[in-house]
Parts: sequence; structure tokens; C-alpha cells
Amino acid sequence: MSIEKHSLWSFFSSVKLTITLLVLIVLLFIAGTFISSPDVVETFADHLSPGAGKVFLFLGLSDLYHSSLFYILLTLLSLNLIICSINRFPAIWRQYNAPYFPEPDGIFDNLPQGRIITADKEVGKIKPIVESCLKKNYGRISEIEELRGHLFYAQRGRFSVFGVYIIHLSILIMIAGAVIGSVFGLAADINIKEGESVNVANLTKSNGLYKLDFSIRCDKFTVEFYKDGTPKTYRSDLSFIKNGQVERQGTLLVNHPLAFEGLRIYQSTYGIAPEIKAIVTYTNAGKKDGSMTLAAGDTFYLPQSKARGFVLRVEENIMQIGPAVKLRIVSQKKDVQFWVFQNLDQIVVANPDLLTKMPLFNPGLFQPFVFSLKRLEQTYYTGLHLVCDPGVPLVALGGLLMVLGLIIVFFIPYQRLWVFMKPKDAKISISIAGRSNRNNQQLQKKIDYLCKRINEEIKA
Amino acid sequence: MNHTLILSWVTFVYFASFVLYLFRLIIGKEVWGRLASLLAWAGLIAQTIALILRWKNSYDLGMGHVPLANLYESMIFFAWTIILIYLIIEWRTKSRIIGVFIVPIAFLAMAYASIAPDISNRIEPLIPALQSNWLTSHVVTCFMGYAAFTIAFGCGLIYLLKNKEKGLEKPAGFSAKLPDFATLDTLIYQSITLGFVFLTIGIMTGSVWAHYAWGSYWSWDPKETWSLITWLVYAILLHSRYVRGWRGKRMAILAIIGFGCVLFTYLGVNYLPGLHSYLKA
Repeated sequence: MSIEKHSLWSFFSSVKLTITLLVLIVLLFIAGTFISSPDVVETFADHLSPGAGKVFLFLGLSDLYHSSLFYILLTLLSLNLIICSINRFPAIWRQYNAPYFPEPDGIFDNLPQGRIITADKEVGKIKPIVESCLKKNYGRISEIEELRGHLFYAQRGRFSVFGVYIIHLSILIMIAGAVIGSVFGLAADINIKEGESVNVANLTKSNGLYKLDFSIRCDKFTVEFYKDGTPKTYRSDLSFIKNGQVERQGTLLVNHPLAFEGLRIYQSTYGIAPEIKAIVTYTNAGKKDGSMTLAAGDTFYLPQSKARGFVLRVEENIMQIGPAVKLRIVSQKKDVQFWVFQNLDQIVVANPDLLTKMPLFNPGLFQPFVFSLKRLEQTYYTGLHLVCDPGVPLVALGGLLMVLGLIIVFFIPYQRLWVFMKPKDAKISISIAGRSNRNNQQLQKKIDYLCKRINEEIKA
Repeated sequence: MNHTLILSWVTFVYFASFVLYLFRLIIGKEVWGRLASLLAWAGLIAQTIALILRWKNSYDLGMGHVPLANLYESMIFFAWTIILIYLIIEWRTKSRIIGVFIVPIAFLAMAYASIAPDISNRIEPLIPALQSNWLTSHVVTCFMGYAAFTIAFGCGLIYLLKNKEKGLEKPAGFSAKLPDFATLDTLIYQSITLGFVFLTIGIMTGSVWAHYAWGSYWSWDPKETWSLITWLVYAILLHSRYVRGWRGKRMAILAIIGFGCVLFTYLGVNYLPGLHSYLKA
């Protein structure tokens, strides 16, 4: 049992496994980018055998990024990461707490010429010079008096041994964030016509519906274009309504989501609704009186004569003579129907006695009101994407930690430096040597600089 | 002066610089190298001016945006970052040897941008999805990463070229003039670490942007997936170096494979359907 456990542990703590898993994930991703449609996979599986289809379905090959295969690889990678980290921790801890003294064996052997400075001044004068030079470059230093001579120690970037841990932790945090997001997150889409309010959204990943605690009203949708026809702006003016009250109004633009009640709302698409709006104005006994935006099926009220109006039809081009709306107006005395043409003036010029012959074409049939159609407008609908992803803060934290970890690992080496002063033939010899966990070149340059400084100071 | 005209001249200048680096390598006189560096610097400055002019020009046309918004502009910027990072390395290492392999890549990017029939060099307005402050940081960091990986690729090529001649009796001649294996290995490693950090930041800024634009920090769009593939390939490379001690030839080969992924992420993906499709010329 213990051997088995041990072998499983060592299996998960191997870097070979890490590299194998990473290669497999890369291959899965490559396959994923080329298999864009699930149909391809299904047809392929059917060709193989009826059983293959089931296996493929289980592995989820039609959607590799959400397949069991990918989740298994990701789980193995996470286990591998955690176990590797635990396994290597004692060594890293020893490295972090490595004793300053004595210096590593043989570190002062075979030093190049420039790394040994000889001075003929007395120890009492040399020591402060070495000390101050070291302090200037490394901050705190340690020293020890030995029989063979005097040993200084300085270090820099000791915490960088944990850089790798920060990176690996950041990956686990991001994976955790992604899992939380996919389990507890919500993504839904909603299409709202101008003027309409909606409180039910379609879940993005399934066919289900999601009922909101509030409703969203699209007050206006605007699309603007550049001169060359490229879209410039998609803008939705929205109102968020709760318990019949407008709680918040806001303008939604691409790249500028709105937030309401824990949901983030994104401008995702737009379209033209089937119905058309008519801008209708009317005069009352020759005086300009009102303007309305109407769609087919709408009703309106004329208080001046206590009449109710109905929009029967809105047509873009009726009988080849242009846009028109058909209205019915009912009061206590009358019940009339008539067309209102946008191009009435031109039509009358062509057929001077039209209005008397055909009362149906007379926009002034309900006296004393005269209606006119200013223009027709398309009704847009705005397509909103609603998101709630509680994993985002974790993923963001993971991202920040990763960049921090990479900078520590790549650019902050753990440098250790020993300086050994010993009397030699009535002179003092100063040897300088160091160790660095990476980028040894940089350390060597530093030591060269330090030697130069000490030399200069001694001469001065 | 018209920025397109400057950019055509810059293309020519980079080519001339490459030829001079080649002279330096073959003739072995440093004066050619100095001239080559001078030309590369001149090209970089002229290109910077051209980019600023193009930027200003887009404002004059009423659609003001950084010149990083379509394939042509990204290609030009790619060349710019390659030359910039190369010249910094040249200045830091005081060695001109890799110029002969790197500068022509920048030249090819410039030439491809202006010659390829499906790439338009017109200043185009920004569609709503691109109107974001994250555009600049995302594109700049990504291309810094790409450029650093390009340097690693160039050094990898030199390594393999030199390695091929290693067995030969007379290592003199061409191969002897190339930098030694240790230097190349260090350069490959250092450019890859730089590229890796930039690519990581590039992917992250992209994620933040996607979070604001599409409502999801990750959508498995082919370009996103391929950037992750590239990231993983370089992660594999770094792990095999740190833990398994891979050096030299293996690093060189992996650097070349990694660059293949970079190119596919940048260009190949445009032939797959996805959200980043506005980069299609």
C-alpha cells in the first residue's frame, strides 16, 4: 500500500508528467481550433463505428474546450502542480534559509586575478572600507571573525526563490476562478425592442430562460456609421425598472458595460424589428396640436374630442404611392377609417379631386383634426448580453500574481556574496566570490564593479 | 511629408542595413557593421516619425486612433519592435553579429505589408469593439513579445547553422564568424524570457479588454487559443531548461517551433473563423 502510494506520489511529482500534460493540452487546443463545427466530429464518429460515437460524445470531442478530456487533463495538471510544489518545498526552504557561514566549499579557489585585492594598510582601516562598499550595494551585511581571517556575507533577492511558487499558485488560482465562474456564473442574452421592457433572458449556454428581478427597457437604440459605411457606434439608452420605478438610467456602449443588481450588461448585437414606426402629427382646427410615434396596433387618445384612435396598418409603400398609415378613430358620434399618406401633396397634384371622390384617402376625415404622416422609422431592437461571473476577481488576482511571479523569477536573481579578508605576508588580501541562482553574468559584472570600488576606496 | 512614402524608404533602408551587416560578416571589417547599425537606427527613427504622422493623419481624417488597428499597421509595428529590441540588444551586448539574421525579418515584414495584395495601407476607422483604451496596451505588449521571440528565432537559426558545421574539419570561414554557442544559448534564453513576460501581459490585457468588450475574459476564439498554445510551448521550453537542463540545440529547435506558433497566432489564425476577424485585411 505504502509503496503504491509512494509510486503514485512520485508519478505526480515528476516534471516529465508536467511536460507530457502540457504537450497533450497543446495538441487538444490545436485540434480544437481546427474542429470548429460539431457536425464534422459526429460524421467522423459515425463512419468509424456506432460505438465510437458514444466514446466521442463522452470525451466531448465536439466541444473540446468543455470536454471531459480537457477537464481530466486540467485536473491532472493541477494535481501535478500541487504535488510538485509540496515535494520541492523543503529544498526551496533550505535554499531560502541557507546558512551564511561557512562559505560554500572552494568558492575562493581559483579566483581570477581581479577578484583578489591586496592592500598594505592595516585591517582597522581596510575593514570599514569593505563594509561600506558592501553596504552601499547590498544593504544589510553579516560578518564573522574566524581564526583564518574575517568573512563578510551579503545577499540580494532572496525571496526570488519563491517566484516559481507565486507563478504556480497563480495558475491554480486562475483555474479555481474559471471553475467558480463556470459553476456559479450566469450568461444570458436578451433582445429588447425600442420602447419595450423585458424581464426574461435566454441563457446563453442552454435553451433555458432566466427571470430577472427587474426589467430593462430600451428607450432608444442608435447606430452610427462612418462615411465609408463602417459602423461607428452602437448605443442603447436603457432604463432599469424595479417595482414599477425607474431605478437607474444609463447609456450602454460597446466596451462600456453597465452594472445593475450584480449583473453586468453588455451591448452585444442589434437588429431591425419587423414593425415600422410612423411619426404622425395632427392639427386641430388648423392649429398645430400634436405629434405621435405609432406602430401598427397602437392606440392613442384625442382628449379634445374624447376620441380614441387605432393604428390599423403601417405600410412602407402602399399602391406604389409611398408610405402610409391607416387610422380608425372612434368617438361617441363617429367611427371613421382613413389613410394618411406621406406624399399626399404630390398625390393631390396628380389627382386633384381625389379627396372628395375617395374619402378613405382624406386625412382630415375626422374633423376638425387633420393628420399627416411625417416619416416612417425603422424600429431597432438591441441585443444585450448579461453576465454574472463570480470567478472574475480570482482570475484577475491570478493574472496579477503571475506577472509578478514571472518578473521575480526572470529578472530578480538570488545573489549571494562572500568577501574574505586575511592577512598575508604583512599585507591583507581581500577575496570576493559569489553565487547566483540565475543570470550569473549579471553577478560577475556586479562583483567586478565591487572590486573596482574597493580598490579605488583603498587607494584614496 | 507623406508617411507612406517614409515607410517605403524605411523598407529600403532596412534592406540596405541588412546588406551592410552581411558585408561586415563576409569582409570582417567593423566599419560595415557601424554603417549597418547607423542605417538601422536611422530607419527606426524615420519609422517612428512615420508612425506618429500616420497617427496624426487619422485624427485629420476624423477617426483618430493609434496606428495599431489593422493588419497593415500591426505589420509595420511588428517591424518597428523587432528593430527596436534588436538595437537595444546590439547596444547592450556590443555585438553586431546577429543583425544579419534579424534585420532582414523586419525588412520582410515591412515589404510584406506594402506588397501583399490583400493588405490595405489605408487608414481605416475603428469599429465599436476596437474603440477601447486597452487596444494600445494589448497590441504593444503582444508585439513586444512577438519581436523578442523573433530575436530568439534568429539566434536559434544561427545556432543550428553553426551546429551543422561543427563536425567539419575546418571550422574557420563562415561558421567561425558566428557567435559562440554559449552566447547564442544565453541570447535565446534571455529573449524568450523577455518575450514570455510580454506575451503573458499581452494575453492578460487582451483578457481584460475582452471582459469589457464581450463580457467574458476568455471565449476560446482561435486567436486566444493560439496565443495560449504559443504561451504553453514557451512554458514547456522554459521547464525543460530549468528542470531537465535542456540547452543549446534543443533550445534552438524549440525557439524555432515557438516562433512558428507565434506566426500562426499572428497570421495563420486569420484563416479560421473567430472574433479577431477584423484583422483580416
